[in-house]
Amino acid sequence: MTSAVVTEGLTKRYGRRTALSDCTLDIPAGHVVGLVGPNGAGKSTLLQMICGLLQPTAGRLTVLGGDPISGSPRLGFMAQDTPVYAGLTIEDHLRFGAHLNPSWDDEMARRRIDDLGLDLRQKAGKLSGGQRAQLALTVAVAKRPDLLLLDEPVAALDPLARREFLQGLMEYVAESGTSVVMSSHLVADLERVCDYLIVLVNSRVRVTGEVEELLASHHRITGARIDPEKLGPGRQVIQARHTDVQSTLLVRSSAPIEDPAFTVDGIDLEDLVLAYMTEAAESGRDRVLEKQR
Amino acid sequence: MIWLTWRQFRTQALIGAAVAVAVAAVFLATRGSLLALARDTGYTGCTANCDQIADQFVRQAQQQIYGRLLFNGTALLFLLPALIGLFWGAPLVARELETGTHRLVWNQTVSRGRWLAVKLGGIGLATVAIAGLLSWAITAWASPLDKANGWMSPDTFTARGLVPIGYAAFGFLAGVTVGMLMRRTVPAMAVTLVVVAAAMALSMGVLRPHLVASTTYTGAVTADNIGGISLSMSDPNRRIQVEVHAPVGKSWVLSSDVLTSAGTPWHGPYDPSKCGPQAPSGPQGCEQWIASQNLQQKVIYLGPQKFWPLQWRELGVFLVVSALLAGFCFWWIRRRVA
Repeated sequence: MTSAVVTEGLTKRYGRRTALSDCTLDIPAGHVVGLVGPNGAGKSTLLQMICGLLQPTAGRLTVLGGDPISGSPRLGFMAQDTPVYAGLTIEDHLRFGAHLNPSWDDEMARRRIDDLGLDLRQKAGKLSGGQRAQLALTVAVAKRPDLLLLDEPVAALDPLARREFLQGLMEYVAESGTSVVMSSHLVADLERVCDYLIVLVNSRVRVTGEVEELLASHHRITGARIDPEKLGPGRQVIQARHTDVQSTLLVRSSAPIEDPAFTVDGIDLEDLVLAYMTEAAESGRDRVLEKQR
Repeated sequence: MIWLTWRQFRTQALIGAAVAVAVAAVFLATRGSLLALARDTGYTGCTANCDQIADQFVRQAQQQIYGRLLFNGTALLFLLPALIGLFWGAPLVARELETGTHRLVWNQTVSRGRWLAVKLGGIGLATVAIAGLLSWAITAWASPLDKANGWMSPDTFTARGLVPIGYAAFGFLAGVTVGMLMRRTVPAMAVTLVVVAAAMALSMGVLRPHLVASTTYTGAVTADNIGGISLSMSDPNRRIQVEVHAPVGKSWVLSSDVLTSAGTPWHGPYDPSKCGPQAPSGPQGCEQWIASQNLQQKVIYLGPQKFWPLQWRELGVFLVVSALLAGFCFWWIRRRVA
């Protein structure tokens, strides 16, 4: 497995505020990678460092085997809130894309705009949120990047625009095979398009892996009070909730759990992500308490 | 990058060029009739009593449309650096940072350094071209009036020749720098206005007298070279303030003192029978009385022949400061902006 992005102890501070601290992760190439985490987890900061917009304060960062540079022909980036030049028309956006990028695929760009039913003469400032996102995506992909970074691309869109956007993205990925890293705090959207997942909370990777594998190896176990210690080797409890008579555990286990004492259910991606986030939040709270003592 | 810069800047560029060309055309079109007025009053080619004829020419020109043109042209060149700083400089980077479009454009295959270089180079050239055209037209137009009036006074000097180009370049780069640091267009415009006005005032009042060597003249006070007298009737000390002319006409007088033969400043006391409204001999009698007091005058001034050396040096100072600001912008955009 080749890596699109490798970070080691990556840290970004703005004055006293730390946006990302000591982040170590490995993003594989050839996937549509979902980067999930709560607001403030450092997703935007991480993506902007990958595309060279921000300089890391400390740590190592390798992008497509080299140092990150802004203005690289191999990277496409669509920033949060999908900025476009409000005063320029769609045609102008395509033309400056063609002027600024040697690898520009003008035919594809125009075909995408045409498929979306957009008027080339329309000012970008007059577009709806969904259309603006589509224009920003068109500019990002017509550059024909090896790695496409999308920062919360659908966060501001209504459900219909969201679906259309993701559909357009999927079509492009299927046709080009580009590696994609897409950040979001909306798991349902990622479930539709991503085949690889990274959960980032407080700059820490909580879980990472291919979506199918993650879903296959996580189980919800319900039964009479279970002692988590006694589940056996190779089984990791992510989340445990107990009432007087019953326990609900979320367990990661590669081997299937076959024990008549419990009910074993599958789990969807949203529950899986939430479980890891909750666990992270709780351990974070413990740390704070310890400091106060 | 050149295409995008042009596409983003073309409206402002066309407005700026249209205004500059129109203004220059007005001045060039009325130049002929101003020269005709100089001929008709006898100022052109005058050989004797030239000061008086020059005054007459200037007075007549002031009464006609030329007075308003002169004022407006000078005012325009005073305002131009701030206007360019406000509308071309401050929004250049600040608006991109404010709307987040820097994240769009810096992810095309173009480095930030090149992006900024094309913007600063292209719009900087437009700034120099417009300031140069306006200053050339107004300087050429006003030359007969300046010859009669003198062109060393700070107001006139600032709106003639080369210095408007330096001020405009500075205004543009100050606007870009402030916008880059503040990251918001409207506050950056306000700060740019203050910075440009302060820099111009500082240059006129503090820097300019030191850019070329001034001339110091010492000589006897005569009735002829007294320029003005001011005194107060009710002052028991009978203080009197005497202004003396520079020995060379149309100079910028930096300081003018009347000294006693011992070298200390002289402020009277005056003789009420010679000076003041009650004196029977009038102002001439007072001047003669002052001249008879065996006083020395000390005048420090910049003569009109210092005009071009001073113009070049002040232009140089502002171009160097502009270049430093540009260098800072390149450093800042690579290191600190994201």
